[in-house]
Amino acid sequence: MPDLAVTLNRLHLANPVLVASGTFGYAREMAGFVPLARLGGIIPKTITPLPRIGNPPPRTVETASGLLNSIGLDNDGLDAFIEKHLDYLLGLGTAVIANIAGHDRDEFLRMAERLGRCQGLAGLELNISCPNVSGGVDFGVDPEMTASVVRGVREVCGLPLVAKLTPNVTDITAIAQAAAQAGADAVTIANTFQGMSIDWRQRRPILGNVVGGLSGPAIKPIVLRMVWQVARKVPVPIIAVGGIDGIDDVLEYLVAGASAVQIGTANFYNPSLAGMLIDQLDQALASAGCQNVREIVGTLQIPQR
Amino acid sequence: MQIIVPVIEQVRVARDTYRLRLASPELARAALPGQFFMIRSPGLTNPLLGRPFALYDTYLDDGGNPAGIDVVYLVVGKMTGLMSTWSAGDRVEVWGPLGNGFPTPTAKHLLLVAGGIGNTPFLAVARAARGLRGYAAAAAQKRVDNITFCYGTRSAEYLAGLDDIAPLGVELRLATDDGSRGHHGFVTDLVADWLLKNTPGDDAEQPSHARTSSRPPAAIFCCGPEPMMHAVARLAEQHKVPCWLSLETPMACGFGACFSCVTKVKQPGGGWDYRRVCVEGPIFPAESLAF
Ligand SMILES: Cc1cc2nc3c(=O)[nH]c(=O)nc-3n(C[C@H](O)[C@H](O)[C@H](O)COP(=O)(O)OP(=O)(O)OC[C@H]3O[C@@H](n4cnc5c(N)ncnc54)[C@H](O)[C@@H]3O)c2cc1C
Ligand SMILES: Cc1cc2nc3c(=O)[nH]c(=O)nc-3n(C[C@H](O)[C@H](O)[C@H](O)COP(=O)(O)O)c2cc1C
Ligand code: FES
Repeated sequence: MPDLAVTLNRLHLANPVLVASGTFGYAREMAGFVPLARLGGIIPKTITPLPRIGNPPPRTVETASGLLNSIGLDNDGLDAFIEKHLDYLLGLGTAVIANIAGHDRDEFLRMAERLGRCQGLAGLELNISCPNVSGGVDFGVDPEMTASVVRGVREVCGLPLVAKLTPNVTDITAIAQAAAQAGADAVTIANTFQGMSIDWRQRRPILGNVVGGLSGPAIKPIVLRMVWQVARKVPVPIIAVGGIDGIDDVLEYLVAGASAVQIGTANFYNPSLAGMLIDQLDQALASAGCQNVREIVGTLQIPQR
Repeated sequence: MQIIVPVIEQVRVARDTYRLRLASPELARAALPGQFFMIRSPGLTNPLLGRPFALYDTYLDDGGNPAGIDVVYLVVGKMTGLMSTWSAGDRVEVWGPLGNGFPTPTAKHLLLVAGGIGNTPFLAVARAARGLRGYAAAAAQKRVDNITFCYGTRSAEYLAGLDDIAPLGVELRLATDDGSRGHHGFVTDLVADWLLKNTPGDDAEQPSHARTSSRPPAAIFCCGPEPMMHAVARLAEQHKVPCWLSLETPMACGFGACFSCVTKVKQPGGGWDYRRVCVEGPIFPAESLAF
């Protein structure tokens, strides 16, 4: 049996298959489909300092092999997360990485400080990339703002830190570089791509929020390209997320240079997938002759012509 | 429960409307009237997401044991178009049963109100209320004295499943937008008429049958397009008849993970909050919704 454990600087995971923020609820919703303790890690829905009502429906619409969403970080706020969900999550026997979003640097720091004091979390993922929250500053499009948030959080919070990057930038390697230098233990690539969907007969947008974020199999080639570009250029462990639909997608990301992956939209349309991928990874690595999963990370070979 | 099950048969039951029979004793043993299933084609990414469909009814094997489920659907788009091409032996991915189901009726007279494809939950509701079949391990038990089914569609050719429900001793009242069958107009006209004749007015004395029994005289279960359900909810409120609505909100997962299926639910302290229809519904007491 190949060794599936991975280490991303200070973040230690029993295996590289995690589930993505906003696609797994608070894990309770998935308990009937996935053996939760077997997952490499769970990243619950993004938490904001105060409750957010979220965007008006329709909040999702299907596109060709993809899903557009504008949920708008509907959540009950940090206090409710700690009271209602944290104990349950920490009792599941797997790594729990809380995901937070703030409107400004100060909000990120205050939440990180508070969560850092909660015993048992495996890490913190900074959502500096949500495309559905108007009014807030989009930290993730600017290397300096990205660095400033990551550095600030590192000073106030001892948890391993993951910066979740937006793909809606000209050069994602510059943002990844900034996050790494500021002390991120890993970067998650990527959040959703801005998109929209129109009902032309009624001359109306379909989403209540007009625009939303595209996810699902449709985005995988683009995210794969981004993972490869960052892996080549920036010495930081990568968690890849985008359109994973089966075990081959997982291995493609690992070969491109990701140390771990997250399953997102597939949790909605194939809710038992995440659990099955762990066994399938084991088999795939064994048949590729790997003793451990680290052996396959970043092994892409470009033929010389 | 997420499983891949075979199609047993596909039968056209009205214009653009089909009954799909899926073999699965597990799903059939678990399902309650008013609950729903998410259905998709395994392995396909276009269409990608499952789509929600109400339990039409369970079907039984020769020994009377639950053997599978029926859903009835109207072709409106990508997934329902694909579904209409399925035939016996095709394999279909299903997860469920999901949602809360209708409450056990405590009224003497059940008024079922359907608009369009919103008729689908009511066959099983009627069968259960009549005590003709037990669902989800419960024994069959008669709950109501009378059932009236008000059902409206665009035109007669869309009316589905009348032959299934009429034999259960259900009084049918039909309406079509074009007058091709039944009342020429909205199903809500039929509801207004029924309520006027069968419930006390606002200032009336308690009717005699209400005095001799602790059971409320009537209750309404309703499913259909939102404006129609809104109108029925208003009528029910005027006539002080308890009313439950089954919402048809579009869904991405069906089990509470995505937060896409939200509707406005009134809060105890006033105001409203978005709540997930797939886990807190799809059936809500009408007065709890903020339209
Ligand atoms: C709890 C529940 C139970 C349901 N039960 C049944 C049932 O028993 N039988 C049945 O035929 N349908 C039922 N529906 C509705 C059904 O899920 C949709 O018709 C289906 O998702 C359409 O999929 P599609 O890919 O064919 O259409 P799409 O290609 O996704 O959409 C086609 C068109 O239909 C519209 N549309 C899609 N979904 C809905 C919706 N839910 N309400 C209104 N408009 C919509 C779209 O905006 C678009 O204009 C139910 C819905 C819910 C929430
Ligand atoms: C409905 C929905 C809600 C999401 N909510 C969040 C969120 O709250 N926080 C976050 O960091 N990412 C969120 N995401 C982004 C996912 O975590 C993931 O980065 C993205 O969907 C790409 O992966 P996928 O193609 O596998 O879904 C959401 C995605 C979807 C589809
Ligand atoms: S459909 Fe996903 S939460 Fe209701």
